[in-house]
Order: sequence, then C-alpha cells, then structure tokens
Amino acid sequence: MLYNKMLSSDQLVIADKTFTSRLFTGTGKFNDQTTMVAALKASQSELVTMALKRVNMQHKDDDILAPLIKQGMNLLPNTSGARNAKEAVFAAQLAREALQTNWVKLEIHPDPKYLLPDPIETLKAAEALANDGFVVLPYVHADPVLCKHLEAAGCAAVMPLGAPIGSNKGLKTIDFLEIIIEQANIPVIVDAGIGSPSHAALAMEMGADAVLVNTAMAVAGDPVAMSEAFAKAVQAGRQAYLSGLAGQANHAVASSPLTAFLQSE
Amino acid sequence: MNIFVNDQLIIVPALCNIEQLLQQLESPLKGSAVAVNQQIISRSTWTEVTLNEGDQISLFQAIAGG
Repeated sequence: MLYNKMLSSDQLVIADKTFTSRLFTGTGKFNDQTTMVAALKASQSELVTMALKRVNMQHKDDDILAPLIKQGMNLLPNTSGARNAKEAVFAAQLAREALQTNWVKLEIHPDPKYLLPDPIETLKAAEALANDGFVVLPYVHADPVLCKHLEAAGCAAVMPLGAPIGSNKGLKTIDFLEIIIEQANIPVIVDAGIGSPSHAALAMEMGADAVLVNTAMAVAGDPVAMSEAFAKAVQAGRQAYLSGLAGQANHAVASSPLTAFLQSE
Repeated sequence: MNIFVNDQLIIVPALCNIEQLLQQLESPLKGSAVAVNQQIISRSTWTEVTLNEGDQISLFQAIAGG
C-alpha cells in the first residue's frame, strides 16, 4: 500500500518511455514458451530483451514475438553475437527493421568464455548508433570512466555488469557500481550476474534505476515463482532506497533503553 | 529465377518481391529482417523491392535472448 503510494510519483523514464516496473528481463534460456510468458508476466516487467539470428533454413526457430507483443511488452533487441562495432551497428539496424523499434541493447563481447564487453568497440558503436537516432543502452563493464564517455556519446542509459553473464555471482563489481550510480546523469541498469532476489534488492538499495535479470529466472526450479520473487525484491529495494537507509556504525547503538531497568539510576 | 537465402538455393518467380519471398518461405513477416546483397531493406519497401537472378538474401529473425 505504502509502496504503491510511493510508486505513483516514482516512475523510470528512459528516452520516450516511462516504466512502472524497474525489473527488466531477458527471454533466453526458458524451457518453453509457455513458461517464459508466465514468468515474464509474474515479473511485471515492461521491457524484455530479445536477440536476432540468421535464420537456419533447415531448422526454423519458434516465433517468440507474437506472445510478447500480446502481453504488451516493450522489446529491447540486443546485438549479441556482434564481435566489433561494425557488426553491432549492422545488427542494430537489422533489429530496428525486425522489431520496428529504435531501442537497442548494445552488447559486443568477442570472447565466448567470459562474454566480457569490449569497451573500445562499444563506445565506437554507441556513438554511431546514437547519431543514427537509436536509443542506445550499452552493456559494459562496471567502469565509471567508460560510463561517462557513453553518457557523453548520447546513450539513453548504461548497463554495467555485476558479474559475467549467466554466472549468477551477484554484484562482484559493487564498489564501481556505486561510483557509476553516483556520477551518472542517465539511468543506470545493473545487468548480468544478478543470481538471486537479494542481489537485485541490493542493487536497488544502492540507487540503481533498474536491474536486468534473465538466467536467474529462466533456469530456476520454478521460473514463474522466482520471477515473482524478483519483482518483490526489486520493489523492496527501491522502496528502501527511497526511504533513506539508516547509516552504519562501527560500534553498537542501542535500540532499547539501557538505563532504569534492574536498578534505579 | 534462382536466388540464395542464407546460402541456400531457392527458386522464386520472376519479379518476386521481398514480402512474397517471405510468404513463400513461410517466414513470419513480424520479427524478420532482410538484407539483399548485404544491403538492409527497410520493411516499408518490402513490396517494392524485387529480386534479381543470383541475389544473396540474408534473412534474420528475432529469437529468445538476454
């Protein structure tokens, strides 16, 4: 109840879109489409990522678009698979045609083992895409200097990682995420590595504007129930941030009166 | 007329346009993107752009991803 009241004046604006939910989700790794749609619904997410692939003429993939559009989801195509700026720009242009959106999650990770984003190629591609009218959300390492460069290049938000994609290790980059959040004038969406609702809540408590979760929902024992848990965690974390966390101390600060209990003063 | 879609030989009628090609391939129109000889073709011109003998078509589709 209280949260809903706070929420009414607390919306996330990125470029031309306003979001009520601060939980963004991916569509990968779900066992089947029915589970995916049910999980995304339970997450209350309003922005979901998708990838683009060269069609295999022998074995065509399912059409996953129709159920997402039916749910009223905003689509965020990614450039996954691009190894450099040139490929990423091409992928973004294809995605714009395929999904009829100028939003793009820019990701360039040439190394398949750690999938860490290439900062130099990402900045190059971000500049080109922003100049071409794209709403660019770059997936980057938690590098505060790079994030400021991307902001100056015209990106609509930055998406620094907590840990490698799909690792579920949590906010390993926490000290640098804090600096990024402190310095940013555009929304900060913590992406990658968030493995449990507590990780998501922590990111939100720190003042992240949103988080993006995929693997931790998709491969959970019960993806639908887990997605709901993430929704609650993100709301709790955001509410805590807005409420102003109490400060920490190195010594005890009594919560109960210590005087006039067993003996008079 | 012979063309190639993602390196596979496909036979289409003369003056076939992009939209007709996708219909022939039973590919969904929504969620697809097409490049002809490496040039991305805007969806708004799919009924206007006709294919030529030997064209290399790249066909892409939206799939699940994070």
